[in-house]
Amino acid sequence: MDTVGLWSLVRFAHVAGAALWVGGQLALSLVILPLARRMLEPEARDRFTARAGRRFGILTGAVFLPVQLATGWAMAWHKGVTWASLAEPGYGRTLATKLALFVLVMLAAAGHGIAHSKGRTEMARTLAVVSLVGSLGVVLLATALPAT
Amino acid sequence: MNIEQDGREPTGGRYPSRFRRSGLKARHLHAHIVVVAWLALALAAATAQQTLPVARWLAIHLFLLGAATTAIVVWSEHFAVALLHARLPDERWSDARLAGVNLAVAGVLIGVWADRPVLTGAACALLVTAVAAHLVVLVRMGRGALGGRLAPVVGFYRAAAVALIVGAALGGLLATGHAGARNYTGLRLAHVHVTLLGWIGLPVLGTLFMLWPTVLGVRMAERTTKVAPWALALTGGGLLTTVVALAAGWRWAAVAGVGLYVAGVGVAVELFARTVRRRSPVSAAAAWMLGAAAGWLLAGTVADGAILAARQPAEAQEGVGSLVPVLLVGFVAQVLIGALTYLLPVVLASGPKERAALRAVLERGWAVRVVTLNAGVALLALPLPDPAGAAGMVSAAAAGAAFLVLTASVLVRGAHRAGEGGSSRRPVLLGTAAGAVLTVLAVLVANSGGDTSGPAVAADAGSGGSSAARTVDVTLSGMRVRPSRIEVTRGTTLRLEVTNKDAQRHDLKVEDGPATPLLARGDDHTLDLGPVTEDREAWCTLPGHRAAGMTLDIVVKGSTGEDADAHDGHASLADSAGLDLSGEFSGGWRPRDADLAPAPGGTVHKAELRAAHTTVEVAPGVRQQMWTFGGTAPGPTLRGKVGDVFEITLVNDDQGMGHGIDFHAGSLAPDRPMRTIQPGERLVYRFRAERAGAWLYHCSTAPMLQHIGNGMYGAVVIDPPGLKQVDREYVLVSSELYLGTPGSTAQVTKMREGTPDAWAFNGVAAQYAKRPLTAKAGERARFWVVAAGPGDGIAFHVVGTVFDTVYKEGAHLLKPDQPGGAQVLDLAPAQGGFVETTFPEPGHYSFVDHDMRHAESGAHGTVEVSE
Ligand SMILES: [Cu+2]
Repeated sequence: MDTVGLWSLVRFAHVAGAALWVGGQLALSLVILPLARRMLEPEARDRFTARAGRRFGILTGAVFLPVQLATGWAMAWHKGVTWASLAEPGYGRTLATKLALFVLVMLAAAGHGIAHSKGRTEMARTLAVVSLVGSLGVVLLATALPAT
Repeated sequence: MNIEQDGREPTGGRYPSRFRRSGLKARHLHAHIVVVAWLALALAAATAQQTLPVARWLAIHLFLLGAATTAIVVWSEHFAVALLHARLPDERWSDARLAGVNLAVAGVLIGVWADRPVLTGAACALLVTAVAAHLVVLVRMGRGALGGRLAPVVGFYRAAAVALIVGAALGGLLATGHAGARNYTGLRLAHVHVTLLGWIGLPVLGTLFMLWPTVLGVRMAERTTKVAPWALALTGGGLLTTVVALAAGWRWAAVAGVGLYVAGVGVAVELFARTVRRRSPVSAAAAWMLGAAAGWLLAGTVADGAILAARQPAEAQEGVGSLVPVLLVGFVAQVLIGALTYLLPVVLASGPKERAALRAVLERGWAVRVVTLNAGVALLALPLPDPAGAAGMVSAAAAGAAFLVLTASVLVRGAHRAGEGGSSRRPVLLGTAAGAVLTVLAVLVANSGGDTSGPAVAADAGSGGSSAARTVDVTLSGMRVRPSRIEVTRGTTLRLEVTNKDAQRHDLKVEDGPATPLLARGDDHTLDLGPVTEDREAWCTLPGHRAAGMTLDIVVKGSTGEDADAHDGHASLADSAGLDLSGEFSGGWRPRDADLAPAPGGTVHKAELRAAHTTVEVAPGVRQQMWTFGGTAPGPTLRGKVGDVFEITLVNDDQGMGHGIDFHAGSLAPDRPMRTIQPGERLVYRFRAERAGAWLYHCSTAPMLQHIGNGMYGAVVIDPPGLKQVDREYVLVSSELYLGTPGSTAQVTKMREGTPDAWAFNGVAAQYAKRPLTAKAGERARFWVVAAGPGDGIAFHVVGTVFDTVYKEGAHLLKPDQPGGAQVLDLAPAQGGFVETTFPEPGHYSFVDHDMRHAESGAHGTVEVSE
């Protein structure tokens, strides 16, 4: 099974999705938003950050999240992961922890959106950073899992 | 030196003004965020001590190697510049050294934690390199610099850097197992001393010469310039003596070395005590903490010398080990807290007002914290029963955590101010901290091994049938596990009574099985391994101990022992002598269909295989309990084409026994798909048949001799590309038959000796003799054959025919257009292939295993060829 087959594509979609999502967050919070804050007038800045945040949120909900869930589920199925095996030390527990951390990251990302819409800027930014750092943790745990 | 020359508050002069340069300030800020992060991780690891075997090591090294080292590298460089009136070293190189140190520390921690000696070794080398660079900078700085009155203090920093280099090298030897068992104790003691008293103790002592009067708000004593070099000579020389002596095993020289060190500390402390004036200090909190810390250093080193003097090295190790938490918390943590309480406001504030405000934050509740911390240390230090030590740890940790919170809030303020354009950095810091904590927690959970108190992973309880139990006393001492090898008969229920007779702590972890907690001297713990069916290894999980030789091999040998499980299933058993193949099968018996249907369409083949006990008629009139896949032995034959995917769901319906499955036709890592699943569990096994052939599948659970011998096998046929259609296709799986209660001693003994009661095609002896296969004259027939064993292969022959096609183990040995002919398809156990022939005329063609012992005992049948 060392050729480029269907499962390589699934894995590719999963890894690429994660990389793009984390990369997007990084680019947004390290490059685009700081520059916007520095270069734009206050009013334009607020509109810009709100729009950028919403668009990335839509992208996450419409593309990244479905792709990650679908490909992740498919790979778990391909590997024969059962509910019981998730509790076992080693592969199962690492995967379960990764999933749990992923859920927390998603909650933080969602909380970011909510806080932002309510105008609680500090809370929103904190949650954005939590989500960013946490998703790096997800990637860390993912690299600990053997290849499908 | 400006700090003290400027009186109570260092407001003017060269040293404080440097902090005002925002770049430097930001760097200090970042360094302190790193320190705080290490401290937080150390606290997390300390709380996880009960669950992680390496956590104690991890907590100590996160604290000393992470937090303390970062602080020392930053501050020793900073103070050296101030003390020597030297120029600031290149910023980028400073950052690079600091980054190198932190990277190396992370590498060491991960390397030891994940048991990757190569990573540990490489990280140690990086650490030595980075600290050597730091040392070079400190030495160079002294050259050509003006030198202040306290220039000798820099000598402490240089000596400390040397100590860390030695300590890192020793630590690397220990962690990677290069220390060897014999030298382990001495080298470990040397490592503890050189790092704790050298790398941490020396710079702290040196810094106190100037920090102490500053914190008190008095002028530095005139004698300091004379006392400091003396103290350095005594402590440094004493430490050097101690380390060399410990490594070489010279006990009294080591004691003398510690004595010199104590004298050095004593000289300094005496000076400090004289410096105290009635005036109220600049920071009472800092003063009290620094004073208490110096007191713990003195007390700790005195106790250390006493322990080394009173006990043999191996025993001294435990004593010194119990001192480590005291020095760690009482001295190192307290110095860190005290120094930061004074220095952070100086570093971070831009004016006296703000400095006072920050100091007020950092000193919040300091009296309570000092009392809590030191009471905790005292509880740790005193030889009190268990709850006292735990309470001490908790109160010390609480005090530390409280300071962490205060520091974090001050740093956040600083970050807030340091940010340009008023943009707040607070969310970034808080978010990073929260995200990092989440991640570290997740990694801790993900890496948590098996339950230490739970039962062993029962590989296949009950399958051996032998319920013999054995208890073995295992002692841990001298970096050895005794006995180092335990031989048991297969299926023996093994208990290990593990006792630590060593002066230092050990544990014992069984591969894929239970582990003891950390055992202090004299502690014992029982490990239940359950029935042992395959070789296992056990080892001590402390860093370097396994590599140094603390391992135990548990070896399965010989035959099933004395005892047998007498309880009988259904088999109304004829003994081998009574097996009458000429008899009749009972009414209602049906032969196993040998016809092989063409591969079904589609490229994905799904099937569910249920593992169970099934009683079947395996020879005329003989019923036998078999272990089956899908209710039959052999299990269902699967057929497909090259590239097809098989998705097999294994369901274990077998009460009280684990099973697994191994498809030879697939290529994948066995770890997950071939694992043993317990009763009631399901396992989806997907594989892609990349290559053609007649393949075996069988139960993958040990002891496989019994699982295969009792019927858990079957065939997977993958057509070679371009396989021609023939008139008849049969599949014949050959196997041995062992009668008797599955897993009983009698049956297992027959399996071991290779004396089956019968041989069979498709699981039933002589079935195709009684119910012949049918064909017509002139028809071309293909016989797929797989040898399931478990022990014997087959020499497949069809009497009265010549094979014009032989395909064995993935290759055509003979094709119809070739002139040669074949008489036998020979297969070793687990091999497979097919042969083709054309029946020339009507008649009864016997097919046999041409090993005549096998043929006569069931491995024969007939093809009835009609007109
Ligand atoms: Cu089995």
